[in-house]
Amino acid sequence: MRVLLIEDDEMIASGLQTGLRQAGYAADWMRDGRSATAALQSTTYDVVLLDLGLPQRHGLEILRELRRGGNSTPVIIVTARDERENRIAGLDAGADDYIVKPFDLDELMARVRSVLRRAAGRGDPRITHGDLCLDPATRTVEQRGIPVRLSAHEYSVLEALLQRPGTVLSRAQLEDRLYGWDEPIGSNAVEVYVHSLRRKLGSELIKTMRGVGYFVPKP
Amino acid sequence: MNSIRARLIIALTILVALVSALAATVTYQRVLHETSILFDYQLRQMALSLRNQVSLAPRIEVPADQGDADFVVQIWDSFGTRMYLSRPGLPMINQTVLGFADLSVQGEAWRAYGLQTADGVIQIAQPVRVRGTLARGAAERVIVPLLLLLPLMLMAVAWTVRRGLGPLQRLASEVQRRDARSLKPVVSEDLPIEIRPLADELNRLLLRLQAAFAAQRTFISDAAHELRSPLTALRLQMQLLDRAPDEAARLEARARLGDAVARAIHLAEQLLALARSDPQEAVGQVEAIDLSAVAVEGVADCHALAVTRQVELNLESSPTVRIAGEEESIRILIRNLVDNAVRYTPSGGRVQVRCAQTSGGALLEVRDTGPGIPAADRKRVFDRFYRHAQGHESGSGLGLAIVKAIAERHRAQIDLADAPGGGLQVSVRFPRSP
Repeated sequence: MRVLLIEDDEMIASGLQTGLRQAGYAADWMRDGRSATAALQSTTYDVVLLDLGLPQRHGLEILRELRRGGNSTPVIIVTARDERENRIAGLDAGADDYIVKPFDLDELMARVRSVLRRAAGRGDPRITHGDLCLDPATRTVEQRGIPVRLSAHEYSVLEALLQRPGTVLSRAQLEDRLYGWDEPIGSNAVEVYVHSLRRKLGSELIKTMRGVGYFVPKP
Repeated sequence: MNSIRARLIIALTILVALVSALAATVTYQRVLHETSILFDYQLRQMALSLRNQVSLAPRIEVPADQGDADFVVQIWDSFGTRMYLSRPGLPMINQTVLGFADLSVQGEAWRAYGLQTADGVIQIAQPVRVRGTLARGAAERVIVPLLLLLPLMLMAVAWTVRRGLGPLQRLASEVQRRDARSLKPVVSEDLPIEIRPLADELNRLLLRLQAAFAAQRTFISDAAHELRSPLTALRLQMQLLDRAPDEAARLEARARLGDAVARAIHLAEQLLALARSDPQEAVGQVEAIDLSAVAVEGVADCHALAVTRQVELNLESSPTVRIAGEEESIRILIRNLVDNAVRYTPSGGRVQVRCAQTSGGALLEVRDTGPGIPAADRKRVFDRFYRHAQGHESGSGLGLAIVKAIAERHRAQIDLADAPGGGLQVSVRFPRSP
């Protein structure tokens, strides 16, 4: 899962970025409106965390432009402004959720999972596929009711593939989900994760489409 | 008694009394004078008419006295024998003077006129009391209506004053309805012109209060929002510290937590400094201070930051630069200016502080090699919580607001300009110390 963090306060942004990465998200950080708009045009994100009081461009402007362009990426507004009018304006401009600073990191993560779930059109927070069951809140996986231990990156690859069964994800797409722009990527990291996932969960789960990428067949 | 109504009533009563007394006196005097002339004329005419009758028929019967007449007529022959006395019952006037005379007979004053005829002397006399009575009567007729008018006038005054003061009472009850939440101006159009200046001044005061309250509310709201950022950072780092997966992450979170605490403390200090440097507050300990010595301290406060950021910081100053002010405030002003300059100057750059005595007073100049401030933004940078569009610094946003407030307190003038060779040049001009 790739998150775009738009926040002008360095301390908050770096803390959030660390928190998001620890939770297994790839997090990119943009500190002003102009570079945020550029990032949104060049990269596909799963969720955007948007501060409103930005230099150069107001957060709501970015949001409106995003929605006008037909982009429906979930957006959570993260701001110090808690007046009712601000919340209404934010939600009406196309935000999916609104959280006020100083927020609790766990609550923010829960809201991120919630908008991701809704974006995927699921009500049940858990993702089930055959005998597999993923819980994004705890980032745990069970197979036939027995917990399977996965690393954070292994989990991220599995989650990405299970969210849209039948869809082929390229190696680059999977890397996008795993690493932010400023994180180093191992040369064949995705192959390594797929390999160990097959080892832990059975070789039939993840299929390879040669020259294109990986997919999980529809059950 | 401090009551307009009572004062008016007392003043009016005294005035009416004085006017009445004066009118009565003047009337009495004038009537007395006029009746004197009139009666004197009458005395003389009577004497003359008697002379004609007496000379035509010396034995003429002068009509007997009616008893209540004021006049006493006496006629003497040329030998001095009284030939006629009109009212025998009265005390005798045994003297005669030719022409007009004031006589006194048994304690009563008489006015007499004596006329020489061919056969003797005719005298007509009248008591002066008659004239006084007439004059007093006239005076009374003047004074009585005035005195009767007095209560009416007092009632009219009371009524007029109550009506006149009505608008004041209305104004008072309007003012009573004002409080910190509703400070809208009172209606002043229909007020009498005597009260309108009061209402207008009151309205100006209300407007000033309104502005001050609004500014205060905005400031508190802004301050609360600004506090949220360091608090958010604090909370985030605390939670990251709690969930750090390994020692390295824990140490990093620990260090960042320290930064966040320092930032929250800095913001609190800046808020306090701003509150203390409110230009509305009276200036505290004003003394003659040496600006160059304070500048040394202020620059030294920023030395560590300049070293960390690899910015060359130097101070150039005359030996002593005299200004009048509060030493601590001036030090805060210098520290904020220099701190700002160092923060916005890229590493390898330079911040120069200069302070000098000038003809008009003293000059403090801080020049950096940073990006400068576009002319369009120069007014706004002094606003509270304003941040540079390109600002990558998480400062409090209060530094320049504090500088401005302190400068205003010291009646100093701040100018922002492009430094020669790029960067920002801030000049603070202090007035000559008295």
